[in-house]
Amino acid sequence: MKVTVKVIGPLIYAAGFSEKQLTLGGPATAGELLARVNVGKNRPTIVTRNGRAVSPLDALEDGDRLVISPIYSGG
Amino acid sequence: MLGWTGHILRVNLTTRTHEKESFSEEFATTWVGGRGFAAKILFDELAPGIDPLGPENKLIVALGPISGIPAPNTGKAVVAAKSPLTGFYGDGNLGTRVTEHLRKAGYDALIVEGKAARPTMLYIEDDRVEFLPADEVWGQGTFATNDWIYGKYGKGVGVLNIGQGGENLVRYAVIRSMEGRSGGRPGMGAVMGSKLLKAIVVKGTKPIPQAHPATMKAMGTADLKMVHKMDQDSGWSRQGTTGVLAWCNEVAGLPVQNFRKTSHAESWKIDGERLDAARVATYGCPTCTMRCGIAVLDKEGHESELDYENVGLLGSNLNIFELDQVGSLNYLCDDYGLDTMSAGCTLSFYADAIEHGATAGDFTFGDAERAKQLLGLAARREGTLGNLLADGSLRMARAFGHGSEAYAMQVKGLEVAAYNCKFIPGMALAFGVSPIGAHHREAWIITFEINNTTRDSYGPEKAAKVIELQRIRGGMFESIVACRFPWIELGWSLETYPKYFNLVTGLDWTLDDMWALADRVYALIKLHYIREFPNATRKDDYPPAVWFDPGNADTEGPIADKYLEADKYDQLLQHYYDGRGYDDRGIPTRALLETLGLSREADDAARYATLT
Repeated sequence: MKVTVKVIGPLIYAAGFSEKQLTLGGPATAGELLARVNVGKNRPTIVTRNGRAVSPLDALEDGDRLVISPIYSGG
Repeated sequence: MLGWTGHILRVNLTTRTHEKESFSEEFATTWVGGRGFAAKILFDELAPGIDPLGPENKLIVALGPISGIPAPNTGKAVVAAKSPLTGFYGDGNLGTRVTEHLRKAGYDALIVEGKAARPTMLYIEDDRVEFLPADEVWGQGTFATNDWIYGKYGKGVGVLNIGQGGENLVRYAVIRSMEGRSGGRPGMGAVMGSKLLKAIVVKGTKPIPQAHPATMKAMGTADLKMVHKMDQDSGWSRQGTTGVLAWCNEVAGLPVQNFRKTSHAESWKIDGERLDAARVATYGCPTCTMRCGIAVLDKEGHESELDYENVGLLGSNLNIFELDQVGSLNYLCDDYGLDTMSAGCTLSFYADAIEHGATAGDFTFGDAERAKQLLGLAARREGTLGNLLADGSLRMARAFGHGSEAYAMQVKGLEVAAYNCKFIPGMALAFGVSPIGAHHREAWIITFEINNTTRDSYGPEKAAKVIELQRIRGGMFESIVACRFPWIELGWSLETYPKYFNLVTGLDWTLDDMWALADRVYALIKLHYIREFPNATRKDDYPPAVWFDPGNADTEGPIADKYLEADKYDQLLQHYYDGRGYDDRGIPTRALLETLGLSREADDAARYATLT
């Protein structure tokens, strides 16, 4: 299963990339995927898929694009 | 009374006189400062129906009890007047050294009345006030004017100035300071220009009265370092607010092509990562240790200081994805002294109106060179087109007709900030009920909306969140006066602000006292509105009609076929009114006004409009 991870804002510098395709060996949840991306410990983030939030227990599907962003509060 | 200097400087440009006035402790604790002071002074002193560009309008520069005190992000000032763009109370804030200097000169606010006989620079140094000629820089941009002033007085003085946009009464002209800071989106620069007031220069040398200065100094100094550390640890300043662009693009919230689309494949070319890479300098406001102004070189080689709103509305919203060209448009707005958001929305509306046959013209989306020319026409009010552009999108739409008002991206005349709310109902509500028109400053709930609720919901939880954020952002921060960024972006504790307030004033306020202040200020601004528009209805609190149009829904992507549903939006609006204690028209009830201590103001408003 292949999923794309897009990282936003300063999380890019912690993760070391802004967009990457990952190949997962089998079924996985959003939380398991996030554990593989270092965006800083205990940092509040919002994770979305198709413009909607996903929870750590949500199952991923082949071709998913997950977006990890800081909790912006606006300019 | 400590914390406040207890004085307001009133200047009359017609008579070239000034007066140092005292205010009571009751006034101070009822209105606190900033927006609170400005809204109250203008309510009491301006008769409804006056020409906002006439000498009877008054320009207010208002500060708060923590203004100018060394502590995180206390270098802001509120500028306010009756707006030539919206026709009622308008304001904005900007970072400026005027904040510290005006307080040290012994004033918590400045009221500018009348109209000068010739271009004038107002010079204030402690108790001395001078009316100096400014003919030499009349017709000059803000950068040259700023240099001229620094050449005379040095870089340490406080400066507010305008460019050609303000001089020529562009309805969305702003007031500028420190070369990169702008404030007063609803035309505060035009009000200054209407008075032939090119600049205000302030130098103050007195101590600011404080109840506990040593404790405040120790806490403020430590907190400045802590905010800086939090910023460095998080990396927030690497992209500042421009990090939002990539996120808005991913969640279908980016303005593209006059808000017709919500994302674009080329948006990465102008996102925060590209800005960080192209950065040549970073700028910020006084007492800021998390600076957000990212300067890049524009197409002509100028430094251009960008944030998300600039890039969103002068870039993606115009289908311009060349970073240096976006920088050029931003530089021109800054030099002319134009609000980048209203300028971007007005240009995008013009291109859209041409595409839809509402008018004839030669401007198309993506044409950066023509956009630069159009900004010049607007700033100079050159020809019929320049005058149309200078009046903003709503007036243009009314001139064009053909149903174009539906896609003039504004609320109450003020253009919307860079969030495309086709399918973000709570943020659409935040724009609709912002007290001065579609400003993002009052409540920004997109991340809450997507993270903590379902996007489809029009439920009371979203209305409650808008009210909560209005109290914090548009109420407390705008009145005490401080920048909200340490709190919203770094998680700096809100409890810090009543602590600062109490240390300087000697009072014992809690956040609940701040919320009561906020509700009072919001209700008073509504009374400003109904004095000017007695037939106000709930439709005035609706966002742009195009967001409700099924034909405007995205055809692909995360929100394909989605649009705001009018009946559900109306329910959401009712949840907001219920939460606020407003009637079905969105007007505070008399009972609420009395609870807020606004009985006298209610009596006055009732002379013009019906209160329930």
